[in-house]
Order: sequence, then structure tokens, then C-alpha cells
Amino acid sequence: MIQKKICMVGVFGTGKTCLVQQFVHSRFSVKYHSTVGVKIDRKVVPVDEGEVTLLLWDLAGRDGHGDITVSYLRGAHGVLYVVDGTRRETFDQVFELRDVVEKAVGPLPSAVALNKSDLTEEWKLGKADDKTLAARSWHQFTTSAKTGAGVEAAFAWIAREAVRQGSAPS
Amino acid sequence: MTGTGEYDPASAEFAELRELLLGAERRQLEELRRRLDSLGITPDQLAELLPEAIALRAGRDRQLARALAPTVENAISESVRRNPREIATAIFPVLGPAIRKAIAETMAGLVESINRAVEHSISLRGIAWRIEGWRTGVPYAQIVLRHSLVYRVEQVYFIHAETGLLLGHAAAADLTVADADLISGMLTAIQDFVSDSFAIQEGGELRTFCVGELTVMVERGPQAVIAAVVRGPPPDTLLLQLQDALENLHFQFATAFAEYTGDAAPFAGARSRLEELLVTVLNTDRGQRPRGATVWMRWAIPLLLLALIVGGLMWRSRQRWSAAVERLETAPGIVLVSAERDGSRWKFRGLRDPMAADPAALLAGLGMNPSRIEATWDTYLSMEPELILARARRGLAAPATVELSLSGDTLAARGTAPLPWVAATASLGAPPGVTHLDLSGVRALLPDELAGVERSIEGTRILFSAGSAAPGPAAGDNLRALAEAFRSLAAAVAGLGYRVNLELIGRADTTGTESANQALSRMRVDVVRARLLSLGLPADGLDATGIGTSRPLPAPDEAERARINRSVSFIVHLQPAARQSNGAR
Repeated sequence: MIQKKICMVGVFGTGKTCLVQQFVHSRFSVKYHSTVGVKIDRKVVPVDEGEVTLLLWDLAGRDGHGDITVSYLRGAHGVLYVVDGTRRETFDQVFELRDVVEKAVGPLPSAVALNKSDLTEEWKLGKADDKTLAARSWHQFTTSAKTGAGVEAAFAWIAREAVRQGSAPS
Repeated sequence: MTGTGEYDPASAEFAELRELLLGAERRQLEELRRRLDSLGITPDQLAELLPEAIALRAGRDRQLARALAPTVENAISESVRRNPREIATAIFPVLGPAIRKAIAETMAGLVESINRAVEHSISLRGIAWRIEGWRTGVPYAQIVLRHSLVYRVEQVYFIHAETGLLLGHAAAADLTVADADLISGMLTAIQDFVSDSFAIQEGGELRTFCVGELTVMVERGPQAVIAAVVRGPPPDTLLLQLQDALENLHFQFATAFAEYTGDAAPFAGARSRLEELLVTVLNTDRGQRPRGATVWMRWAIPLLLLALIVGGLMWRSRQRWSAAVERLETAPGIVLVSAERDGSRWKFRGLRDPMAADPAALLAGLGMNPSRIEATWDTYLSMEPELILARARRGLAAPATVELSLSGDTLAARGTAPLPWVAATASLGAPPGVTHLDLSGVRALLPDELAGVERSIEGTRILFSAGSAAPGPAAGDNLRALAEAFRSLAAAVAGLGYRVNLELIGRADTTGTESANQALSRMRVDVVRARLLSLGLPADGLDATGIGTSRPLPAPDEAERARINRSVSFIVHLQPAARQSNGAR
């Protein structure tokens, strides 16, 4: 069984934890975030080669800053950034986070999950933002932890990319 | 210009010239070139260098052995596949001792586990553990393990250092670890967390942490981390074992590490090495000698108690037995011929006088169970004094007022008894066991109606005036009544074989000389005797004695004493009629 380490990065309150909660096998409680700063979950995703086990390192988002524990990123095979679609500032901060990550571990397969898509009324992102991401060749998914929309697709994509990248440890 | 052909001879010549001038150098050059092309060592050279090289490298580290191991393994398995006999013959000399050793160790282990099972099942502690097992629902084996554990390596994680992904995992057989991959990641994260939080410099990292009874020991290598979860305090040597294992794994999987992209399959071979690290050390595995003694003691104490109890019971039984035998041997009228114990049954044989005590009652008095006793007694007559006396008492039907005693061959009786008994007994003669019967100590008591007669005779007193031997005026009537009473009494006892002797005692008062009084008393008694003879009493039935003033009859005052002692009084004696006896008084 192939295993891949995927880091989930996003500022506080973007719903990273909720995003994975329903779709993964959890062993550790949420309080690990406030103590160790990371919570690890497992998700098995089917890919063309069979199945791949994603070890999801859910990195605690510090409030409003691109401040994450860089050492947790070490050896990651992919990064899933999470943005709260109802909070504009989280979108802006994700670029800052990406810089931090890439500075630490180099370029990795990565995607952005624009989360909380169920809250259409409060949605703050538009087509311009999609273009901004596309311009930076950043794969994006619109997800909802509440309805589950887009979540499987996001994990499937990142799994596929990580496997394809294969022999590219940082 | 000449054609090429023209130059051929020249060319050949040139070659010849060149050969002549440069031949040796050219060959050397070609040899050098050839060597340069092969860029290696020739087999010849290798053959020269190989033994030295092997020795050199083997002395330096174990890499050579590790590198050769797979090839050697393959070679051996290939050889076995092709011709098993070859290898079998080769290793036969070592196989026998190895098998014997393995069997010995297995047996030792078996004995050890039996000892442990015995120790745990019979000890108080074992019972307590069983109770704990019932209470908590935890299997007994696990409770025993938990309590007798020194340390136990329960899990070993083999973790890719960079990604924290799990490469291999081994856990104790009774342990199910569902999320080894998550734990592997979290262990890595925690290590990073500690390093980051406490700003530890490169090379320093979390190596050991304790959680309750568990200790997690982490050894970090360049490519991988090995983490052992240990229950109980781990020894120092464990860390060395982990380091050694980690080094081996690095070496063994050097290629796999280089190519690692998340697939743990190439590391499957690591599992056996990880499992080697799973060890359980029980305190029963330590200090064989003292603990062996303890096991022995555990057996010895109940055995000793048992021996004491059995011994005590045997001793008590023996004591009872001796007491019983002694009692029977000392009992009068019982002669113990044989006594034996047959299991719980006691068998006695012997002689018993019918007058002897009942043996069953004697033994019951000692607390024996009569149902366990089998006794056969033959009857005999005992010559023991107690038995003779008892037999005589029964045989003579002696009344309670008669006391019997034995003196030599003579049975003597004392006390009082009815005249008919005395008469009958006198006629019986000596009872068995004695030759003489002495009844002289027994005072015969007359039947009530005759006793009145006797009293009236003995109450009669013939009084005299001072200095006179002539009876007073009442004497005539008194003597007639007395004669009548005598006759009736004599007639009554004659039927019992007795006759009556009447003793007449004459007295005088103290006036005058002793000799005169003696003579006076004699005269007085003779007068009375003569009067009684004249009244028809037989002469041989009357004994007259004058005693003067000796043995005077008592009276409250002088005058009365003088009056009553001027008298003749009577005493009745009963004697067996048939023969001359010593008398009955």
C-alpha cells in the first residue's frame, strides 16, 4: 500500500478540521491542534494504480497569520490549502501561507479548497479570484464540509498528483 | 606517386622496423591500455587480494557479512534444492548437539512454566489475581503478565524519518494496534513539536518519554526512526539493541530508502527484525536460583503441614493405642494375650475374669470408638486380691455392712451382719482363692423380734445389799423372766444352728478390800447361777465370772454407782452350735 503525507494548511477557522472530519479515519482528538499543533488522520483514496493511503497532517491554523509549524511540512507529498469562502481575508492570506510552505519544503503538488460553499449568501469570492488562482496555476476546488460537495474530488486529485509526482521527496 | 601496393613491402618493412625498435614498449603500452580499458582488477589480481581484503574489511565492521548474507543464503538454498544430502552430511556433526540443546531448553522452559503456573495458581497472590480477573474481565494470563512483568517491548515502529510514514510495525501477539500509521505520524509530529518548542539544536531530539507504565524509546537514524513502546522500566541495553537494529535496517534497505516514495512494500523484510525486538522479561525469569527455592518452598510448606498433620494424627493414634494397651494390661482380671492394629481396627485377644471390668467400657473411657474395637476374651479366674475380694463379696452375698479383706490365704470379714447370713456364711466355708474364712470380726445381728428378747436379758440386773451375797427381794421374778427369755431365744437360734451362751458377771462396790470384793462378787454370781440352774437352764450355757470392782458399771453419783455395782448382770453370746468357734463377739 502506498502512503502519502498530505498537509492541510489554512488560517484559523477556515474549516480544515471539519472538512476532513466526516471523510477520514480519526484517532486523535481535536485538542491536539491546541497542544501539539497538528492532528493526523487517515484517508484511503482510490487511484488508477489501486489505492493510496493519505496521511493527512491537519496543521493548526494560527489566527490571522501565515504562521505555521514548518517542521510538520517536512517530507510532505502534497499540500491542500483551505480558504473560507465567506471570509475574504482567508483568501488573501493563503498566498502568504503558500510562500511560507514553498520556502520551507519547495514546490509540491498543491490545491486550494474554497470551503463553506454551502453558505452561498455569504460567499465573498468571485470569478476574478478564480482567475487569480488559475494565473498562479493553482488547482482549485469548491468544497463544503457540511454537504460534502467537492471534498472527495479534492482528495482524489491531490492523491493522484502525489502519486504521479512519485519520486519527488523534497 | 607510387601506388599503395608499392608501399606494401616498405610498409611491412616499416612495421618490422617498428617492431624491432619499439616492440617491447609497444606491448607494454597495449597491456597498459587493456588495463585502462577494463578499469578494474583482473581476476588474477582479485584472487591475490581477495582473502586479504575480506580479512581487512571483516576486521573493520560487519558490512561485508551483511552484504554477503543474501548471496550465501541463496547459495545454500540452491545447494539444498539440488542435493540436500550434501548439506545434511556437512552439518550433521552440529545438528545433533543443537537438537539436544533445543530439547533441553524446551524442557527447561516447560518446567519453568509449570512452576510458574503452580506458583500462581496455589499462592494467595494467584487467587487475588484470579479475583481481579473476574472483577475486571481481563483474561487471567494478562493479569499475571501485568503483575509479574519487569518490562516488555510491546510495539516497535519503523518510521520514515522525513515523512513520518510507517515503514514497518511489529506488536506483541495479544495486542491489536489499529492505527499504527497514524501513531507513526503523530510520533514524528511530537518529536518535531518538542524539537521546535524547546529549540533543541541539530542532533538533539526527543529520545525517551514516559506515559504511565509505558516508555517510548525513539532512535533516530538518517533515513528512519525506530520507536519502541515498552511496558515497565526498560533496561539500558534496550537502547543499544534499538541502535543496532536501526543500523542494520539502514544498511539492509539502503536502496529502498533511496527510492522511497511512499510505498512500504520494499521494507516488508524489516518485519522479522522488528519482531526480534519484541521481548518480554518477567521477574520470574530473573534470579532463577532463589526463585527456584521459593517454588520449592511453596511445595514444601503444604507438604510439611501435611506431614505434621499426618504425623500428629499418627502420634495421637499411637498414644491412644499405648494407653489402651496399658489400661487393659493393668486392669485386674484381664490378661492381654495379643494386641494388634489392622488399619483403623484394633484387635485384642486375652483372658478375662467375669468379675473384671468390662474392657469395652474401659476403652470407651479413654475416648475410643467401640465400633473400631474387636475383642475376644476367654473366661478365667483371677487370683488377684481385688478379684478374689470381689468374687467373694458376690459369692458370699456379703451385706454392705461387712468389710472383706485379704491377708495371705485368709479372707477376713468385719462389721455387722444379720445372724442368718453369718450362720449361712460360716457353713459355706472359704470362697475360691482363699483357704480360710474368718468371720470373727462380724457381729451377728439378731432378727428384730429376737433382739428385743436379747435386750431384755441383757437389761436384767440382780441387785444385792452391801456386803451380802443374797439376792434382793425382786430377784426371784427377774430370774424366772430371764430364764424364760433365755429359753425362747435359744429355741429361736437353734434353728439357725446357733446356741446361746449366757455370761454372768458378778460385781461388788468399792467398799472393803479388793480381795474381799473379788470373793464377794464370785459368791454373788455363783448364787445367781445356781438359781438359774434350778430354773432349768443348761449348765454349759452359763459362764459365771466374778470381777470384783474391775470394770464397774457407770453411774452419775457415788451412791448409785455402789448400788448398781452390787450386782450380777448378763451378756448374751451366740455361738455356732455345730462346732467350737471363736465366738460371735
